[in-house]
Amino acid sequence: MTTVTMTVNGKSVTANVDPRTLLAQFVREHLRLTGTHVGCDTSQCGACVVHVDGRAVKSCTTLAVSCDGAAVTTIEGLANGAELHPMQAAFREHHGLQCGFCTPGMIMAAVDIVNRKGHVLDEHTIREELEGNICRCTGYHNIVKAVEAGARAMAPGAAAIAAE
Amino acid sequence: MSNTGIGAPVRRKEDFRFITGQGRYTDDIERPGQTHAYFLRSPHAHATIKKLDVSAALATPGVVGVLTGDDLAKDGVGGLICGWMIHSKDGSPMKAGAHPALAQGKVRYVGDHVAVVIAETLAIAKDAAEKIAVDYETLAPVVDMNAATGKGAAVIHDVAPDNRVYDWHLGDKTATDAAFAKAKHVTKLDLVNNRLVPNPMETRAAIGEYDAGNDAFTLYTTSQNPHVARLVLSAFIGIAPEHKLRVIAPDVGGGFGSKIFIYAEETVCVWAAKKVGRPVKWTSDRTEAFLSDAHGRDHLTHAELALDDKGKMLAMRVHTKANLGAYLSTFSSCVPTYLYAPLLSGQYDIPAIYCEVEGIYTNTAPVDAYRGAGRPEATFVVERLVEVAAREIGQDPAAFRRKNFIRKFPHQTPVIMAYDVGDYAASLDKALDLIDYKGLGRRKRDSARKGKLRGLGFSAYIEACGIAPSAAVGSLGAGVGLWESAEVRGNPVGTVEVLTGSHSHGQGHETTFAQLVSDRLGISIDQVAIVHGDTDKVQFGMGTYGSRSGAVGMSAIAKALDKVIAKGKKVAAYALEASEGDIEFKDGRFSVAGTDKSLAFGEVALQAYIAHKFSGQELEPGLKEGAFYDPTNFTFPSGVHVCEVEIDPETGVTKIDRWVAVDDFGVVINPMIVEGQVHGGIAQGVGQALLEGAHYDASGQLVTASYMDYCMPRADDLPSFRVDHTTTPCPSNPLGIKGCGEAGAIAAPPAVINAITDALGHEDVAMPATPQAVWRAAQKAARLAAAE
Amino acid sequence: MAMTMNGEAVLPAPRETVWAKLNDPEVLKACIPGCQSLDMASPTEFAAVAKVKVGPVSATFKGRVQLLDLDPPNGYRIQGEGEGGVAGFAKGGAKVRLEDVPEGTKLVYDVEAQIGGKLAQLGGRLINGVAKKMADEFFGNFAKAVNPENAGV
Repeated sequence: MTTVTMTVNGKSVTANVDPRTLLAQFVREHLRLTGTHVGCDTSQCGACVVHVDGRAVKSCTTLAVSCDGAAVTTIEGLANGAELHPMQAAFREHHGLQCGFCTPGMIMAAVDIVNRKGHVLDEHTIREELEGNICRCTGYHNIVKAVEAGARAMAPGAAAIAAE
Repeated sequence: MSNTGIGAPVRRKEDFRFITGQGRYTDDIERPGQTHAYFLRSPHAHATIKKLDVSAALATPGVVGVLTGDDLAKDGVGGLICGWMIHSKDGSPMKAGAHPALAQGKVRYVGDHVAVVIAETLAIAKDAAEKIAVDYETLAPVVDMNAATGKGAAVIHDVAPDNRVYDWHLGDKTATDAAFAKAKHVTKLDLVNNRLVPNPMETRAAIGEYDAGNDAFTLYTTSQNPHVARLVLSAFIGIAPEHKLRVIAPDVGGGFGSKIFIYAEETVCVWAAKKVGRPVKWTSDRTEAFLSDAHGRDHLTHAELALDDKGKMLAMRVHTKANLGAYLSTFSSCVPTYLYAPLLSGQYDIPAIYCEVEGIYTNTAPVDAYRGAGRPEATFVVERLVEVAAREIGQDPAAFRRKNFIRKFPHQTPVIMAYDVGDYAASLDKALDLIDYKGLGRRKRDSARKGKLRGLGFSAYIEACGIAPSAAVGSLGAGVGLWESAEVRGNPVGTVEVLTGSHSHGQGHETTFAQLVSDRLGISIDQVAIVHGDTDKVQFGMGTYGSRSGAVGMSAIAKALDKVIAKGKKVAAYALEASEGDIEFKDGRFSVAGTDKSLAFGEVALQAYIAHKFSGQELEPGLKEGAFYDPTNFTFPSGVHVCEVEIDPETGVTKIDRWVAVDDFGVVINPMIVEGQVHGGIAQGVGQALLEGAHYDASGQLVTASYMDYCMPRADDLPSFRVDHTTTPCPSNPLGIKGCGEAGAIAAPPAVINAITDALGHEDVAMPATPQAVWRAAQKAARLAAAE
Repeated sequence: MAMTMNGEAVLPAPRETVWAKLNDPEVLKACIPGCQSLDMASPTEFAAVAKVKVGPVSATFKGRVQLLDLDPPNGYRIQGEGEGGVAGFAKGGAKVRLEDVPEGTKLVYDVEAQIGGKLAQLGGRLINGVAKKMADEFFGNFAKAVNPENAGV
């Protein structure tokens, strides 16, 4: 067993884990944060995407011990209390989800796209950047719309404008 | 239309928990004392088990049980069943081989269940499974359908010595042959409907639990129809009587058919929970899902269409070999028969149709319903035949279709179905307009200038949904009735709970069903809760598949709501001191006709429960009503999809440039959700046409068993879709709903292949039309062009 | 799934030496990549345990190896099958032929193998590469073993 310490959704956690424990297992089974899903085990589907030190990572093929000292954000840490993150709100508004299973990973990946590519995203860019996330329900049509809208809503000042 | 009633694009009530990571799927559930199951699966396609020694595994620290087929037999646990009896041409019943949940002496496909190891952790269970010694004697694998029925093929089930499950037919052979004899033109095609793996993103999972104090079982499972699961586990497999078995299907991450069936794993988990005295949990990994989820499609078909000298369709003749895999899955037998052949008339007036279907065992995973189930296979046959026929006789494919459309309703086809209503030309006209059919020639020339090939393909589909009248399906061999149930509970505070036998696993029932309640009772959707997926809460139900939840499930709710309103009128009459006949219900208020006296729905609900204004002799207190709705006909959604592709002949890459869908789903409850269903269906259909294919090698090894080798459609494989509607309300149910869940998957494959073959100029392109396949076809096109 | 592979290696030793080493279980054990034990049941039959890794799947195979069609010192056929537990199975054989060449002995091999289970499902695309690598490793080891300078091996 190995001791691992990390910050998950702003809270410091320390646990004794089997060194082969994957980050996805760690958040699901040790922390009971079950919003992070495992869809394929081979890092193809992206249902398990979380942020490690601000970057999107497929947690089903990341060892928990490799995240020692890191700051991890899961889907549960995205909203500010009852107030949805703009990307979450955009997925609801644009019907970017059906069964909801790929959704946490899709939203975490989408936020990462915005962090890397900015707030104005065209359809082509969004489709290329979502390459690592599989959705079987939506045909991506509404996910693309949601990411485009969510990206705009994440721009500094966008929320203030929307609230006015 | 209120802003939350029928027809409103209401944002989904269920979304909050999903977008915040608070959905509760089966694998998210942890039961106290839970153990973990790992299934040892056969690495061989076909073998007898000469020896199975589990002692070393059982002795591993942390292992709480190792169970095999012998243990199942000792406990009298029955095999998995197929619930639809098909009779062959000669009247003999289909040949259903025994299907034990854990192998008993023989394994029949790679992934077949040999033993289960139950341990404190999954890692221990996996490590212990390594210690199980299995002595296999391998038998010749039967993989190819054509070889399976030939001389010398190994026998998979003794009951079917020629590996034929059935040799079935439908239609009038004599009339069909006679029509072909006088035909002016006959179009012939050989078609492969490629084998697919449904791949809901949530893999299957199950937790079995046993309460010794009450001698009762609970099964949490990823099911589209928990009541059917309970019925089968109880009445056929014999785990426990129904009142001692609770089946809960919580949030389910997609199904597409594959979660209808009752599989070995959940059977074993619930049975084993009593054996080991602790909850037993199993979650499929993705490769296990590829191996053991029921696959879809997998047909080999020869089809012919007879035309007269004016291009009018005279008859159709179809012979299909359907791969049913190594065992008959729950509804497998009806998919290539009664869900297939009755759809071969498509949208066309075809006087005679004859179809023969051979169901064939192979040493591959069982094949059963996958989104569309039989109807995509039928539509592929019809729409490829029609397209090729139009090209062969030199008619415009749109005009040729229009000429042969059914125009008078009701229309009795020669293959069972009586179409009630439709306006096929209206969908076609709208689709032609939206795709800019007139501009196609210009667009083709533009593409040609860039060295690209452009093509356009139609698919004018029909499906039979809302399955189905119980007496009708019973007469065709179904083991169950296909009605749906609902219960509406008005609470004293005026909120409403609806208990439904339908199950939502992405369809948005918590929203659309609430919209119906809001519409009928005039209350906000926030006042409504939709309860489903728990056999202890909902009395009975047949579940969600075949695009039936709207047409059948909501019709049951509508019926129950009518009863609630009728009861409310009685209560209101007492409360308002008026005669019942004078009470009107409108916009959420019960009022006395011609007066200003009225009570809101909530006020009447309260009166119903406090029962101060009437005696129990006069009226029962309470406001709760139930209903069972049995449809009187199938529903017939239809539409036209048009796909326009641009192919790069140098790379073989097919780019879908435009997609237009014009569907007639009858009355639409929530257009946003319906469009989402269409998008998703198209994506799966495009996946079948361009990307997906489950492939077994000659030894019966599944070589497409992960997302590294099975190509799922991704965002950059697909375009945005132009989705529109025409509407002819369905006359056979009170809401006018036809159903929308499968349309896209049914319509899409022939549209794509018709577009590709249009671009290439020849018909020799099979699904999946991968870049490699299209490149080869483009080479052939170039050779053909050079030869001319 | 089936796999075929063929190739040749030139070994710096006379044919008789190569033949003797090819029949020496100790030499085979030392040369077969991942071989943990090779116990003789008869002069032409061995029980073998080998640890093999194919892509994401690693497994310990237990099986039987047989030498057939012995034609000393010209060649033989080596045939085996092993069960790798949950990883699946592997079975197959190789025809081995020896020829004199100026540098010593040329060994020509022709392998046919089948794998199944998890190995085929997850490792299928990698199996040819892995097999080639293992063959190279085997003949690298074997060349050392037959080299008279390494007589101790």
